[in-house]
Amino acid sequence: MRVYVNDRPLELLPGMTVKHALVRAGLLRDVQGGKKVYDQWDHELGLDGALAVDLKLYVR
Amino acid sequence: MKRVSLLFLALSLVLALLAPAGLQARQATIRILYVNDFHGFAEPHRPAGATELLGGIAYLAGYVDRLRPEKPTLLLAAGDMLQGHNWANLTRGKGVVELMNAMKFDAMVVGNHEFDFGEEVLKRRLAEARFPVLAANVEGFPALKPYVVKTVGRVRVAVIGVVTPDTPITTNPRNVAGLKFLSPEDTVRRYLKELRGEAEIFVVLSHQGLPGDRALAEKVPGIDVIVGGHSHTRIDSPVTVGSTIIVQAWDHAKALGVLDLLIKDGKVVWFNGYLQEVKPAPGLADRRVGRIVARYGREVDAALGGVVGETLVDLDRDHVCQRETNLGDLVADVLREAAGADLALINGGSIRAGIPRGKVRLKDLYDALPFDNYPVAVRLSGSEVREALEHGVSALEENSGRFPQVSGLTFTYSPAAAPGARVRDVTVRGRPLNPDGQYVVATNDFVAAGGDGYTVFAQALEPPGEGAGPEAFLHGPRLAYSDPGRWLRDLVADYFKAHKKVTPPPAGRIKEVD
Repeated sequence: MRVYVNDRPLELLPGMTVKHALVRAGLLRDVQGGKKVYDQWDHELGLDGALAVDLKLYVR
Repeated sequence: MKRVSLLFLALSLVLALLAPAGLQARQATIRILYVNDFHGFAEPHRPAGATELLGGIAYLAGYVDRLRPEKPTLLLAAGDMLQGHNWANLTRGKGVVELMNAMKFDAMVVGNHEFDFGEEVLKRRLAEARFPVLAANVEGFPALKPYVVKTVGRVRVAVIGVVTPDTPITTNPRNVAGLKFLSPEDTVRRYLKELRGEAEIFVVLSHQGLPGDRALAEKVPGIDVIVGGHSHTRIDSPVTVGSTIIVQAWDHAKALGVLDLLIKDGKVVWFNGYLQEVKPAPGLADRRVGRIVARYGREVDAALGGVVGETLVDLDRDHVCQRETNLGDLVADVLREAAGADLALINGGSIRAGIPRGKVRLKDLYDALPFDNYPVAVRLSGSEVREALEHGVSALEENSGRFPQVSGLTFTYSPAAAPGARVRDVTVRGRPLNPDGQYVVATNDFVAAGGDGYTVFAQALEPPGEGAGPEAFLHGPRLAYSDPGRWLRDLVADYFKAHKKVTPPPAGRIKEVD
């Protein structure tokens, strides 16, 4: 399943979550340090949130 | 926007007061309170990156107590309530149902993780629930109801439940054997037609995530409100797609969703919604719910203190990031067996505490394996296995969490060699690793996602073809096993329970050479 983190495409297994996308992108520590994750509609997401095909995540 | 809505409400109320009695009878305000993806986070907790405690279901219930009497109200749960945190898992969701009963929920949609304890356990939880649990798009599970029609004040509201059709690939397939998950769009379309005449307002209680909910609203007209879950989305103010209002309340009881609807002649003519953030506050908690949380908390403590078996030697965590240890061997063995794999490889950093010789309590295992890691198995070539091992020993100088603990293979490596060229002999069942052979390799989801830099697993899981969907992964050639509903620590606990006295496997799988 392809998702995007800060516009970078990543492949993950179905069933994986926002946390896995951040692990793959090397950004989990940023979020643990206080940054937040948003979807393409600018809603904040929980780390256990389910992913969807072509979902766009932004860490800031 | 909110000011315009309030002005509209004021005008509506004035008009309602001036209108003839017959017209007034067709106008009403109702309230929907909602939660989703609670995952058993009953007690206040500090999420990653947060600076204060958030959540606490007793505090959330306190807000429900205050907001419900103000208007005719529905209290809804959009799925994934029963599984996740130890508080819920160690009673398999029983405590969650008890507190939902106490809070007088009106309906809940089943989430994909509600199936994680298996069908029989879910049936027991549904029998205990004093509210309907919905899933209109699941065939083969009669205890799940497709919808419920409630009279809220004077308004007839139909609540139709749908769960993600990806459920079979987000829990162990045996948990949903014999069940069929239909298209939410087709299902909702069908029930909207069937329920026309029985209700004025149509709410879809959805556990498929915001992207799916937006698609549902675009493709299926006639839905007034979608109360969603699954994507753990913090929708601070309701969004609209066409004429459908979509809401979702983050996760883990960190927020209670509040949506007020003004209904006139069977149509929503105004709405206002917000998320009430939940955090501990004096005098806020619902005492009855608080007592349930505390009682199950004591049960969890008792369960964690329960002895699951015995180890005849100290199980070593101190060196899991430097060399093979008996605890690393044990965890890797359990993982390999659970996944039915040829080999297993985990990152040493996933093991966080040792276990001294003697009786082993459940808590010891939870301390040793504190992360919510689940098993995944991937088909790798012998070359890829070697690549993974090279990566595992590429940062020896840093005592890195990437150091591998393995099962089903042995290997030697030279610390003096350059990173990327340290692995020497690799054997599987006594024979040299075949670079062109294929091996099913179990690992945890963290490593499978590329954690600790293990890109070989993630690269192996590149899509089977352009535009391939989740089904292609499930039946594709590289993914052999995935069980997102089963934590690795629980598998190790089951191993101890089954074997009683555990003698760690003999060392000698990973050796340094010159």
